[in-house]
Amino acid sequence: MKLPKLLPYYLRFILMMLLVFYQSNAFSQENITPISGRIISEDGEPLPGVNILVTGTTIGTITDTDGNYEIGVPEGYSTITVSYVGYLSQVIDIKGKTVIDITMEPEISELEEIVVVGYSEQKKETLTGSISQIKGKDLVLSPQPNVSNSLAGRFSGLIANNRAGEPGYDDSHYYIRGLATTGNNDVLVVVDGIPEQLGGLNRLNPNDIQSVSILKDASAAIYGSRSANGVILITTKKGAQGKPTIDYSFNIGLSSPTRLPKMADAETFATIQNEIAYYRNPNGGMNQFYDEEEIQMFADGSDPINYPNTDWAEATLKKSSLQHQHNLSVNGGTEKIKYFVSIGKLFQDGIYKNGATKYDQYSFRSNINSQVTTNLDVSLMLSGRQEERKFPAYSAGHIFRSIYRAYPTVIDKYLNGYPSTGVEGDNPVVMVTDIGGTNKNPKSVFNGILKARYNIPFLKGLSIDGFFGVDKNWNFTKAFSIPYSLYSYNSNNDTYNESIFGGSAGAPKLYEWHENESLVTANYKLNFVRQLGEHNINAFIGYEQSKNTKETFDATRLNYPTAETPELSQGGPADPDILNSGSSFLYTRRSYLGRLAYNYKEKYLVEVQLRIDGSSTFPRGNRYGTFPGFSAGWRISEENWMESLSFINDLKIRVSYGQLGNDNVDQFQYFNNYTFNSEYIIGGERYTGIDISKMGNAGITWETAEKTDFGLNALLFNMISLEAIYFQQKRSDILAERNASIPTVSGIVNRYENPGETNPKPIVPSENIGKVDSKGFEATLGVRKYYGDFWYNVSGNMTFAKNKIVFVDEPPLPDSLAHQMETGGPLNTYLLYNVIGIFRTDADLENYIHLPNAQLGDLIYEDYDGDGEITEGDKVRSKYGNIPELTYGFNINAGWKIIDLSVLLAGQSRVSQYVLSESGTIGNFYSSWADNRWSPSNPDGTYPRVDTRASSSINGGQFQNNFWLNDASFLRVKNVALGVTIPKNLTTKLGISDLRFNINAFNLFTFTKVKDYDPEGDSESAQFYPQQKIISFGVNVQL
Amino acid sequence: MKFKYIYILPVVLLLRLLTGCDESFLDVAPTDRINDESLKSSAILFEGYVVNRYMSVRYTEKEAEGTPPGFGRGFEYAMWSSLTDESVYIHDDNSWIVQQGALAPNNTGIAGTLWARSYRSIRECNYALSIIDEVDMEDDYREILRAELKFIRAYRYHDLIRNYGKVVLLGDRVSNLNDDFSDPSLYKKSEISECINYVVNQLDEAAAALPVNSNSAWPLGRATKGAALTLKARMLLYAASPLYNVGTWKDAADAARDVMDMKKYQLYGDYGSLFLDENSNEIIFERLYSVGSNHVCMEIANGPNGYSGWAGNVPLQNLIDDYEVFVDPQTAVPFDTTNPAHVNNPYESRDPRFYATILYNGAEYRGRQVETFLPGGQDTKDGIDNWNTSFSGYYLRKFIDETLPIVNPWDVAGTQPWIYMRYAEILLNFAEARNEDTGPDAEVYAAINAIRDRAGMPDLPESLTKDEMREKICNERRIELAFEEHRFYDVRRWEIAMETENEPAYGMSITKINDTTFTYERIIALDGRRFEIQHYWLPIPLDEIQSSGGLLEQNPNY
Repeated sequence: MKLPKLLPYYLRFILMMLLVFYQSNAFSQENITPISGRIISEDGEPLPGVNILVTGTTIGTITDTDGNYEIGVPEGYSTITVSYVGYLSQVIDIKGKTVIDITMEPEISELEEIVVVGYSEQKKETLTGSISQIKGKDLVLSPQPNVSNSLAGRFSGLIANNRAGEPGYDDSHYYIRGLATTGNNDVLVVVDGIPEQLGGLNRLNPNDIQSVSILKDASAAIYGSRSANGVILITTKKGAQGKPTIDYSFNIGLSSPTRLPKMADAETFATIQNEIAYYRNPNGGMNQFYDEEEIQMFADGSDPINYPNTDWAEATLKKSSLQHQHNLSVNGGTEKIKYFVSIGKLFQDGIYKNGATKYDQYSFRSNINSQVTTNLDVSLMLSGRQEERKFPAYSAGHIFRSIYRAYPTVIDKYLNGYPSTGVEGDNPVVMVTDIGGTNKNPKSVFNGILKARYNIPFLKGLSIDGFFGVDKNWNFTKAFSIPYSLYSYNSNNDTYNESIFGGSAGAPKLYEWHENESLVTANYKLNFVRQLGEHNINAFIGYEQSKNTKETFDATRLNYPTAETPELSQGGPADPDILNSGSSFLYTRRSYLGRLAYNYKEKYLVEVQLRIDGSSTFPRGNRYGTFPGFSAGWRISEENWMESLSFINDLKIRVSYGQLGNDNVDQFQYFNNYTFNSEYIIGGERYTGIDISKMGNAGITWETAEKTDFGLNALLFNMISLEAIYFQQKRSDILAERNASIPTVSGIVNRYENPGETNPKPIVPSENIGKVDSKGFEATLGVRKYYGDFWYNVSGNMTFAKNKIVFVDEPPLPDSLAHQMETGGPLNTYLLYNVIGIFRTDADLENYIHLPNAQLGDLIYEDYDGDGEITEGDKVRSKYGNIPELTYGFNINAGWKIIDLSVLLAGQSRVSQYVLSESGTIGNFYSSWADNRWSPSNPDGTYPRVDTRASSSINGGQFQNNFWLNDASFLRVKNVALGVTIPKNLTTKLGISDLRFNINAFNLFTFTKVKDYDPEGDSESAQFYPQQKIISFGVNVQL
Repeated sequence: MKFKYIYILPVVLLLRLLTGCDESFLDVAPTDRINDESLKSSAILFEGYVVNRYMSVRYTEKEAEGTPPGFGRGFEYAMWSSLTDESVYIHDDNSWIVQQGALAPNNTGIAGTLWARSYRSIRECNYALSIIDEVDMEDDYREILRAELKFIRAYRYHDLIRNYGKVVLLGDRVSNLNDDFSDPSLYKKSEISECINYVVNQLDEAAAALPVNSNSAWPLGRATKGAALTLKARMLLYAASPLYNVGTWKDAADAARDVMDMKKYQLYGDYGSLFLDENSNEIIFERLYSVGSNHVCMEIANGPNGYSGWAGNVPLQNLIDDYEVFVDPQTAVPFDTTNPAHVNNPYESRDPRFYATILYNGAEYRGRQVETFLPGGQDTKDGIDNWNTSFSGYYLRKFIDETLPIVNPWDVAGTQPWIYMRYAEILLNFAEARNEDTGPDAEVYAAINAIRDRAGMPDLPESLTKDEMREKICNERRIELAFEEHRFYDVRRWEIAMETENEPAYGMSITKINDTTFTYERIIALDGRRFEIQHYWLPIPLDEIQSSGGLLEQNPNY
């Protein structure tokens, strides 16, 4: 147990006097060598009261208030032992020295760390579950203010991918231990005890976060039906007793795309157009589109209007864009009242030239705790946030699609400043601005939690507590699109033709959407926490319920007489019924939960927990599910017989097992759903028709995960910490929609959904049919060491998570197609033809089995099933999907005097991503393809010949193949933070207790084999707002 | 002790108050959907369900770009005509698979959707038929709705039969999720004759109850008696055709005559504007569209690049060649590629339907002449947006509404009706069947000449032989019904596809010598057109064969 570092002065004085007295009495003989010096802490502070003992004797002394000591060492003794509570003892050789200054090295105290677990807290040493935790102070080292982007690489067991970087929409997707179900893999986020608190974790102010814990195993079972995919617990900062501390931090940074694909230039693209025409009509020759002279003009820029060479990305995007953050917090309190209050402001600019995209965020938090009576504690936690998003009228996806589609042979702006029509009226240079209107998408979040705790006086350890949380979330969109002019140049008569784009039919158009969501959560618990001799008991039973409601409506109005009145009331008068819509949503749950944790001498640890969850998603009778969790640990290092192995500071083995649930599916699937769809016209009017939108599954219920973990935790030599976990999970009753095994002749046919459709509605309901097993290994190894002024702390973690589909709905495939089965393989794989080369000669076409219409320059597909034809049976499942099996992180922290450095590396491997760019006559090519394409004049090209549309090409979308499957492995310097703390003696005069300057970087370098786009992207066309690299400068001031 | 309980009491009470405890807390009723009981409980809701059966679901990304699909393909970016020798879709979008003979069970391109979505609609119709007697409504009206459902179901089977040949007849079966999908009866294909008999019987039953006229009580867009009889006539014409060979030409002619005898329909005055007037008396059954419930914006999708259009479905020279040429106002002859007078003035004195169907070099369109000549033509690669220029030198005119914008049409265009059946088809069906049955008698001449007359073409020469008449009728059909989803089926049922579909896709390269002089050179617009014996029927999608566990028999030679 750690004692307070600063003993009361009077105590220290008495101790010192006693020792001095003792010393003078015992050794007043001759041949004594006097030794003196100063003892300081790792951060240079003098340490008073440190024990100094001549090794092997009882001769000793302690340091004074300035850390100075003097001691006389009798002849024959060559070492002194220095010890102090909270620090490592040192044995120091005194040979030949009379002055010895010593820097004490702190004892690693992580065992004492308090870890937030579900509905409670635990000491790390008595944890029996697989739970990782990081502190908020590590998160603020990242200049990326989105919390979800600061998690990758920091824990074992968490897989996070930042798929795109648009300000306001740059959230990472994260999974705990990879994918484990064909259904929904979303992790449950609990903020200050509220499951699925509205507003989530992404946009919390990282400066307000005390800690982030992730529950990876059966320890999450206390969250019942939402826990199967793991749980992230966020705890915000609370006030501490003491004088008020005022913290202010500011940082300003520049962000730029991590990577943008390089596109073909005009000369190359013009040649490609000729090749495309040639393949369509070989008799026409190689110059059906442009003759050599014209291609030369694209190359030499002699006629920049008619033969331009436009780099659309350069024309549209800035080199870098600005962001800054301010944070101010006050923290303090008395014994009765403690408070933490903060405000934060964040600004991020988009990377567009003259762009409309801006993100502003304002947030506040007030966490106040009051001890009302000796036994009653009440706290009130209020927080709010305003997220101001502003975009141009066109989405980022549309803009980036246009940048990559737009032909280099088309000018962006004419010399007189007129913007061109770009690609079919999409000119990204104009689309990014507010000329075509804006799309404002603000969101307001309010979270309020009232907590109370009452210690029942008549039985020691018995208490009742509870909370009542109200969350509100207002989401609003106002999209006003305004007509604007683009021009095309007619070289025949030297005129510019004006065309009107944007708006609706040449007039402004307004669309508004509003969503009002609330979540009311109530919880109360009866707790019993008590130490009875060597038995420690920590138990509770509780009740929780929540009610989530959402109301949305939207409206559109057309034909605005002017662009100056973007209000719904100010548009055109003809306003049919159909231009508005609305919906509502109500979701309730009711839960009973309890836990019993017991340990004997903190050596034998056992924990049992249970949650009974009821959900309105399921019908009466299938509504309640029971989710138990069990875990046990044995701290071997606490055994007496381990004492001789003094280098083992801690050693614990543990096991956990639990059943967890997942209910993340649409409501009302237990009966046939019919919805209105008024798209059929009769008699000139839309008719209020009805469609069946979902067939009922009366038996729908939970998805269940059985999780088992074996873990080992150790601390060796007081510097090496180690955690190793083997885990396995059996997911069953997975809620999945049957599709493949139901023949369409039955009429049970799911309609096609766009890949981007947010709310897909297959007619087939979710059924509890799937089974997936997963297993893996997690390891964390850390080393921490102090050398005087220099210290370092290095840790590495890795997660290997592999899943195997045991049952997924598949058609009854014949044995000959066994290699295409999803069953038995991992989730999210691709089914692709295997490319074994490119047809380069007529001999190749003779020697290889090929498609009937194959020609030179086409990809050679392997006749995998050996039937002598290239057919569907030759497709092969890819080994990996686009969620990595292996992720790892390295965290390096070091300090020297006033300088500290923190480096975070994050990487992934065993992962694939399919990307086929939208190329052909529909859009430009990545230069990697354009420059290396096979063509009659480049028979050694490493890429296939170009085609009219990659998406319907024999080498592309028509025969999806693994030529376009990339190994998306990477190692990324995710974060670098370099700080300088100004010495206190300089700052205290200014009334500043702490002053620190820092330089931070995010996504600084990436090492990957992926050529054209950022390897974290998951868009199969790679048309997305790119991930950002940020370099920022900041200052922290503490008063 | 007692004092201390006082603390707990209000806390517990408060918690009870905040949480509530009634059992119905978890009972949530949806506000945006109804269930089976509601559907049955109201005639209005039930009818809403019936009417939407004219539509079905989108089944791939390359269809239903606007509203849900109806029957066949209709107005889409790549039209069904671009699977034939009428046009080519320049952006491919999986239409060249069919043109270039790569059609295969795993590679059905845009032709792969009819199987699944037709069967979905059939199930939905069957479900409605299974509950119709439980719905509270006038019995007379119930019979009309029942007939309407039978018509829709028959139309789905017609879509299936003319694409797949032998298909599975399900009767009134409503499959459910818990059914045994390894039951072989679900996959038993019936002979084509059985399939057609079923459809014809259903249509007879539908025709008996469906209203004759569209009016405010039975608005335009819903099937009428004429629609049922016309579909029946089409089915019987197919049945008698060589590819099917399961019916008689007499039955086909009689069925067509039944529609003629209704005396309800007549040819619309102007061929060109027929396709824009949904109230035309020539239209027997159509799909209506409106702003907000529109199809692909045809003007931009098929417009010349010089007008900022995307070219889309570009007509082929193969079709252009089949428009007759006037020698004098009373005589028209086939276009002759060896006749210099024809070849050097290819767009002069052609069948007026050419000018209503095709945009060609020199055609007046939106205030200027279309320019498909090189060098410098605005609607060629020398114009703007040149990636969207026609391969063939032609653009589509039929269906195009000049009053709708090309640029920025999104909230305005896409409102033309898609005509499923019109009276001209009945006349053509009749003429063809009657000619085969009895030879070119006066009735045959009357039917065919009525169509030619409306188009502004002279009557057919007298005393044609049966074979000569057949040739004339086939060509008349090609011209009159171009782009209306007939050619694909006609070349198959006549068994001439081996010839027509193996012909290269031709275009015309036009070189401008001076303002009035052009030279014309025939070019290949799309290389590698190929048609093989198996392509007479579409392949059943591989997924479906797999789902059936191999019980469903694939069409031959795939």
